[in-house]
Amino acid sequence: MRISRPVLRKYGFIAAFLIVPLALYIVFFVSPNLQAFQLALTNSRGISPDFAYVGFDNFRTLFADDVFWAAVRHHLLILLVLPIVTIAIALFFSFLINLGGGTKRGQLSGVLGSGFYKVVFFFPQVLAVAIVGVLFQAILRPDKDGILNSALGLVGIDPVGWLINPNLALWTLVGVAIWQGVGFYVVLFSAGMASVPKEVFEAASIDGAGRFTLFFRITLPLVWNTVQVGWVYLGIAAFDLFALVQTLSVDRGGPDDSTTVLPLEIWRTAFTYYKFGYSSAMGVALVFMVLTFAALTLRVTRRERIEY
Amino acid sequence: MASIVLSNVDKVYAGGVKAVNGLNLEIKDGEFMVLVGPSGCGKSTALRMIAGLEDISGGEISIGDRVVNHLPPKDRDIAMVFQNYALYPHMTVEENLAFGLKLRKMPKAEIQKRVNEAAKMLGLEQYLKRKPAALSGGQRQRVAMGRAIVREPQAFLMDEPLSNLDAKLRVSMRASLNQLHERLGVTTVYVTHDQVEAMTLGDRVCVLRDGFLQQVDTPQNLFDRPVNLFVAGFMGSPAMNFAYADLVRDGSGAAVSFAGFKLPVPDSTFTDKPGLDRYVGKRVILGIRPSDFEDSVAANGSSGGWARIPVTANVTEELGSEINVLFTIDAPPVEHKDTVAAAHDGDEEEVALPLTGDKSLWTARVNARSHVRPGQSLELVIDTHNLHFFDVESGLAIGHEANVGR
Repeated sequence: MRISRPVLRKYGFIAAFLIVPLALYIVFFVSPNLQAFQLALTNSRGISPDFAYVGFDNFRTLFADDVFWAAVRHHLLILLVLPIVTIAIALFFSFLINLGGGTKRGQLSGVLGSGFYKVVFFFPQVLAVAIVGVLFQAILRPDKDGILNSALGLVGIDPVGWLINPNLALWTLVGVAIWQGVGFYVVLFSAGMASVPKEVFEAASIDGAGRFTLFFRITLPLVWNTVQVGWVYLGIAAFDLFALVQTLSVDRGGPDDSTTVLPLEIWRTAFTYYKFGYSSAMGVALVFMVLTFAALTLRVTRRERIEY
Repeated sequence: MASIVLSNVDKVYAGGVKAVNGLNLEIKDGEFMVLVGPSGCGKSTALRMIAGLEDISGGEISIGDRVVNHLPPKDRDIAMVFQNYALYPHMTVEENLAFGLKLRKMPKAEIQKRVNEAAKMLGLEQYLKRKPAALSGGQRQRVAMGRAIVREPQAFLMDEPLSNLDAKLRVSMRASLNQLHERLGVTTVYVTHDQVEAMTLGDRVCVLRDGFLQQVDTPQNLFDRPVNLFVAGFMGSPAMNFAYADLVRDGSGAAVSFAGFKLPVPDSTFTDKPGLDRYVGKRVILGIRPSDFEDSVAANGSSGGWARIPVTANVTEELGSEINVLFTIDAPPVEHKDTVAAAHDGDEEEVALPLTGDKSLWTARVNARSHVRPGQSLELVIDTHNLHFFDVESGLAIGHEANVGR
């Protein structure tokens, strides 16, 4: 097939830019994903080139697998709690840092020392998850010598098994994830608030808005787009949490699978049990969960944009 | 409605910069007061202190009979219109107008009534359901006005509300503002850097410079009787012409001589300006408004008692109804700190020819019938009754009642 000159001239330039990234994307992203779908239908063990197609057997096993359902349940709980709590805390902090000084003395500025807090809140974000894991191993030790438990001991509370109590461990992990994540969203929302002309807040304070009204009727609606972005980030993070569970939880997802998450199960199934086919089936399930979340989010948050 | 009184108000910013310095100002009940001055003169700061958006470093501000120094903005019963309008972008026009009333727990029917009245007054009825993003600049400006009007406050505070509009709209909004003030009669403090706005809108105009009050008076008095070189140079467009001159008295009476010209000074001037006779035989700064010139041909004999000077037009600006004639006179430009400050104002661009060398560039506003062309010679007549004299050292107007004894 011969491509005519005008067409070449028109699209050749664009194509020249697209071809390399597109090739990389196809080779390293699209094709492995497609292979995962293929592998999910096999009994591949990953170490030998010989495997057989077993149809939907892997999925049948999967849907009867208690550990899989435990992980899915954990994801749903995390998906409910992590974004809401993180966003709420981050919004509260960034409001205090940027506008919380209130209109009491006329100026709309942050509370005292807000520049310092802004930096400090961001510190955990800088740490690698592995370091966070090790840090919190020390903080959350279940005996009375753990940092948190010894502090609680001072006020007469018995040591709490933060990570070894199956009813508590997941929430402890979510707490650590929030601790690490909040700083980023404080910065994100601060940027959102900074982009609102300060006269809008001043006008509101002249109109009679107190701090409460200023936050819920003016600030929140005006940074709503940024909040949505944060929501999507955190939603995606809720389907991950691999590194934190891996480094911090007892027995990697324990105790008793009470903190396990899908990425961890996929990794374990593949590289500990060498059941690549089954592991791929889990991956496929995860893909559908994430896609569902993304589609729902896009659907729900579609809203007209605000212009200043 | 209420009067607003500022007594000895100071504003000191961190780092010791004094934005407002001992400001004393009484704005009467129902008065339209314009604060004007070049950028950085403290006019916006003063307004924001009245609004409660800035702390007051010293002195006292009262609205009505209440000292408001420590009241938050919402308790001062004022409404403010911002330069960028500061509408709530996530609310419709209706919600924008009603927001302040809702927060004050006003009954729904009353809110509806006030919103509808304001919308009708400002011609916003068909836009009530729109968001600000879907409005033009002029419409947004009217919504901002409406938000102030529905509150029925003690005073309106306006911070350069027209400066984001294009020139034509600005003129028509200026007229609307005037009408609105006539109708509502609410005490208004209006900040602008545009002296035309100040002249046309204000009942009285307060000229500020570097945080110091220069002069408060009616626009006409500011124009006719400026208190010092700064006010003289700042008010009026084109700006007043200045030159160093010698005041002399000889057989034919008093005269002022500069750049080879000699203008007679009428006796009435000496009675008008007590203390001027003490300057006879001394150096003064002479000020002549461009509008006090006329082309002797166009004036056509009606210039009895006017002095004549021959000049060559360097540049002519034809404005249709009149012509600005720019010409050089053979005298060094007056470089008093006040004239420099007035000329370096933000928006009002002065025509400055770098080629004039050691000569001053003067402007005369003559009748359009003059038909003068650049390079042509013409004879200008000057209304010598309107000469302004300033002290060379202090820059104060000689004989102005505020300066007598200073």
